Amino acid sequence: MDAQLKRGLLDVCVLAAIKGEDSYGYRIIKDLKPYIALSESTLYTVLKRLENAGMLTVRTAEHDGRLRKYYRITDVGLRRLEDFKNEWKEVISIYQYVAEGGA
Amino acid sequence: MMNKERFLSELKSGLSGLSEADAQEQILFYSEMIDDRMEEGMTEEEAVAAIGDANVIAAQTTARIVSAEPEEKTGAPKRSRRPWEIVLIVLGFPVWFPLLAAAAVVVLSLFIVLWALILSLWAVEVSLCVSVPGAVALAAVYFMRTNALVALMALGAGAVLAGLSIFGAFGCLAATKGAWRLTKSAVGKCGSMFGGKGR
Repeated sequence: MDAQLKRGLLDVCVLAAIKGEDSYGYRIIKDLKPYIALSESTLYTVLKRLENAGMLTVRTAEHDGRLRKYYRITDVGLRRLEDFKNEWKEVISIYQYVAEGGA
Repeated sequence: MMNKERFLSELKSGLSGLSEADAQEQILFYSEMIDDRMEEGMTEEEAVAAIGDANVIAAQTTARIVSAEPEEKTGAPKRSRRPWEIVLIVLGFPVWFPLLAAAAVVVLSLFIVLWALILSLWAVEVSLCVSVPGAVALAAVYFMRTNALVALMALGAGAVLAGLSIFGAFGCLAATKGAWRLTKSAVGKCGSMFGGKGR
């Protein structure tokens, strides 16, 4: 898959994974497993990128006697997901045109 | 088989190229990943193995962070200038302004030359067009003086001139279009350089 496209998809997948409730690294990987293979190092860069873009916030909380980082989606992140849905309506209609072999 | 401690220390030495804070953040991230897997029932060795090779991860993330930096900059919206940059720009005014002005004048004069050339092309074209009826009129005059041979020659010259002028018209049009496009793009670039919102 095209690197740029893949990166965009990874971003929205991770955003979608934390949309409902705050989540943590390993759970994000498990939740996304059926849809997209995500290694730890990739997830790290995606989380970092989303944090820098203001699409999520990080908080550290204690869990079972150790610390764990939880990621929460921001309004900017929610807007990104909405934009993604709208963009892909267009992409799907283009896909149908291309798949049918053009005019 | 590798335990968590060895994995993290290998990772740490692999991340020595990064800042202390960046490296520490990653170590915490992978440490949490291993703990979460163990909590789910994996042994320590299994959890470490699931994450992969510490050296590979370190090499990948270092490469990604280094390569991501210029990329992020092009993608990000234009940042505002920092105070020291503004100071430099102001202090450098006596140096960069004459240079910029000279460059602008050179570019401007190039465009003037270009358009003068286009104008002279059209002048040639117009004179060619005008000469066609002239040649025909000449042919008529000679024909009336019953000098048929010269009249025929003049008529022939008229035909050649007509052909040339039609041919020339296309050339002139193409040259004008090209010059127009060039000027437009130059003006657009100037606009985006100063205004920042051009294009």
